[in-house]
Amino acid sequence: MIKVNKVTKKFGDFVALDSLDMNVPKGAIYGLVGPNGAGKSTIIRHLSGVYKQDAGQVLIDGQPVYENDDIKRRYAVIPDDIFYFTQANTIDMMKFYKDMYPKFDEELFKKIMDCFPAINPKKMVRSLSKGMQKQVAFMLSIASRPELMILDEPVDGLDPVMRRQIWSLIMSDVAENGLTVLVSSHNLRELEDVCDHVGIMNHGKLLIERSLDDLQTSITKIQIAFEGEMPELPPEIKVLKKITNGRVHTLIVKGEPKEAEQKVAMMNPLLMDVLPLTLEEIFIYELGGENYAVKDIIF
Amino acid sequence: MQSKTSFFNKALFKKNISRTWIPGLIYFIILALCMPVAFVISNAHSADDYMAQMGYTMEMRLYQHMSIMPSAAFAIVISIVVTSITFWYLFNKRDNYMMHAFPVNRKSLFFTGLISSLIVELVPVLLAAVFMTVAAVGMGTASVSCIWYWTFVTVSSTILFSSIAMFALMTTGQIVTGILFYIIFNFLYILMEIAFRITASVLMFGLRQSMSGINYKMWTPVLYIPANCNIYSNIITDDYGEKVISFTHSFNGAKYLFIYLAVAVVIYAISFVMYKTKKLETVQDFIAVPFIKPIFSVGMSFFISMVGGAAAAAMIEVLVPFSFNTRYVVSIWIMLVIGIIIYYATQMMIEKTLRVFSAKTLAHCAVYSVAAIIVMLGLRFDVMNIENKVPDVKDIKWVGIDNQYIMTFRDKNSIEQIRELHQNIIDDKKELRDLTTLYPNNGISTMTIKYQLKNGDVVIRSYDMIDTQAKEASATYVAATQPILDFLNQPKIIKEHIIGNIWKTGYIKDMTFSTYTYDEDLKDFVYDAKTFDGISEVDRRAKFGRVYKALLKDIDEGKVFVQRFGYDMYDDEYNNNNLYNDFYFTIRDDNNTYISDMEMYWGDDYMNEMFEQEISASLSKDCKHTLKALKEEEFYDSDELIITYDEYNERVSY
Repeated sequence: MIKVNKVTKKFGDFVALDSLDMNVPKGAIYGLVGPNGAGKSTIIRHLSGVYKQDAGQVLIDGQPVYENDDIKRRYAVIPDDIFYFTQANTIDMMKFYKDMYPKFDEELFKKIMDCFPAINPKKMVRSLSKGMQKQVAFMLSIASRPELMILDEPVDGLDPVMRRQIWSLIMSDVAENGLTVLVSSHNLRELEDVCDHVGIMNHGKLLIERSLDDLQTSITKIQIAFEGEMPELPPEIKVLKKITNGRVHTLIVKGEPKEAEQKVAMMNPLLMDVLPLTLEEIFIYELGGENYAVKDIIF
Repeated sequence: MQSKTSFFNKALFKKNISRTWIPGLIYFIILALCMPVAFVISNAHSADDYMAQMGYTMEMRLYQHMSIMPSAAFAIVISIVVTSITFWYLFNKRDNYMMHAFPVNRKSLFFTGLISSLIVELVPVLLAAVFMTVAAVGMGTASVSCIWYWTFVTVSSTILFSSIAMFALMTTGQIVTGILFYIIFNFLYILMEIAFRITASVLMFGLRQSMSGINYKMWTPVLYIPANCNIYSNIITDDYGEKVISFTHSFNGAKYLFIYLAVAVVIYAISFVMYKTKKLETVQDFIAVPFIKPIFSVGMSFFISMVGGAAAAAMIEVLVPFSFNTRYVVSIWIMLVIGIIIYYATQMMIEKTLRVFSAKTLAHCAVYSVAAIIVMLGLRFDVMNIENKVPDVKDIKWVGIDNQYIMTFRDKNSIEQIRELHQNIIDDKKELRDLTTLYPNNGISTMTIKYQLKNGDVVIRSYDMIDTQAKEASATYVAATQPILDFLNQPKIIKEHIIGNIWKTGYIKDMTFSTYTYDEDLKDFVYDAKTFDGISEVDRRAKFGRVYKALLKDIDEGKVFVQRFGYDMYDDEYNNNNLYNDFYFTIRDDNNTYISDMEMYWGDDYMNEMFEQEISASLSKDCKHTLKALKEEEFYDSDELIITYDEYNERVSY
């Protein structure tokens, strides 16, 4: 559905996207993760047709996105900071979207409206809370019957109940209509629950792009203990991280988990436990160290 | 549903209108108040008001009303208001990104915005014109073409200013800067001209009054349109302003409006290309178009520092008089300092950081500074031939000289002579440009030569002068300047240009000679002047005519209306000889129009059709013929009533 080929974007001397490649299969829920300044919002603005790349191609269904109304009518974008016309209420915005998107389903919009009773449709949208504004954006986008939704920090500012409700709406659209979703978020636990594909970005590049299953089986956490000193590991086991706590060693091993398990088992450990990694752990280890998250917060 | 035409989006159009209709409504209310409402109110009693008694028709009233109605002034304001509201989304990151994420391409965004803003700007004008037409017809005149010509002027102006607004908004990522650029673009040409004129008036030889020769050019439409594209209504009344004699009108400047419309189309096209290629990440940047950054930076630095340098030099000169060259040196130093400060300040604005000091910007600044010095040296050595310019005879409509009296010459022979005299001054400018430092103790006066060219331009040159009779005056100075006095003091020139063109054919309608008697009680002189009310009009004219004849004799002998340079009304010679008594008369010719040299000199706006003029003459004791005639004609009866300035000052203790 989305194909990004060697896209480069510079802001002055700063390289925001560095020959980026990205692929989002049709019907996928693709989570785009990365630290602040990785280039997530920049690639989303390219996919939205806002920015024009300096080099490379940004294609949706094989067509370039920039200045392409036909393609843009087929997808909806919810940015992190949502725009509404001054003085416009939800009904006004609905009419605007209806004129903009040919597949806009007014009946569906009314049905979704019923799920959000707290929103007064006659109240100016800009005067609603940030969370409510997000809800209105989801209502409008889903009712536009898009084939693709591009979401930048979509549930940021929503309470847990509302998050669940929003995701449930999206998931049902995915299930019923084969909607493709590209979602950028810092909330890795939430992405882990909903995404089937993940791309990890840093410094304007995509470090990893895989299905979540593949990703979770490509890195393994093995806890082992030996009677004496831990013997030297065979060279074919690629250890990303090793933490020793007394006689217990925790290894983050890259590669097929079963293969790694067999090779470690051949070392006759007293104790061996193979554990799956969370997306957050994968993100941290792939980006080069567990201190990353702390660095991200501080800087 | 989405409109099928790709340059227009109905949904966006509706949204644009919904955001801009309020300014449109306010605009309509203002127009309605200024046009039909004001017209109806001011002419509510048209049957019996003072204008009706003068013979004003409703058509005349309508043309008068429409001729003073602003057009460009309204257009320049409404254009930026509506266009900036329409394209507001370009100046806010959130709005900008979202608007461009919608399925609307930039062509559609641009043209939909253009169409909607023009509709909001133009519909009020058209509606006001319709209401004004109805009001005019209702008030009794069907001659409403002036209303629709005003509409044409206003619509054309609006389209032009709207295109400039669009261009200005495309150059920046900040709304306030966009509005600032709009003002700058509209006044750019005249601001540059004023900057050069201010600098020239301080630094260049003979250009002290260059600020007074400004003629609005097409490059400044907000000033050019009201002056040249308008409804001209001329109602002439009799001498006493009691009866309308004639009414003429014309619609001016339509061809310029068509040129402006063509220019607007070009500016719209450029703006569209700028929008198509605009990088949206430049939102909130001071300048969004790369090629404008150096132009802005260098332009601001140059013009501000040039004017600042010249103005600072002029201020310092109040304390310490400079020679011509010293004035340039001081100006250039100050200009360089101001220029460098402004250059880095603009860099900071453009780059949005204080960290702009680098080898690269230093090199740019150095190049700019060298260029600025070259320009200033260009002014010093007059490479553009400004100081040395004397217009060609064929280009001159008339030439005026303003010394003690103002004289204006239209005949080819006089124009050629004045050109030669002017050329003499320029040839000896090294002597003349440093009079304040060369002759610090001599009184200095200013002589101005003003050329009105046939193309409407004005060339004005002013020169400092000292008394040609002063013992310090060099031979070169006298050789350059005395011929001017010799020319101006010719009796024929005095009669033609101080008394006026009717000096020979006219009669003296009125004449006053004041006498002064010292009153010991009041400790002051008591004024008196005979009015000759008891005698017939014929006798009065004959009496005045005889004095006038004597005055002409004194003119022939060079005793009155004689001009000099370095004129100082407090000098001893003047006070000892010139009379405190006033002498003035009115000359009239019922058959010939009086052409006033002074009114012509100050411009067409000051020209009135008239048949008489009051002339004031400063008599001296040397005016024997005039004084004798005044006495014989009983304007005074004792020589004690004739007092000089010295005598007056002595008695009143000045």
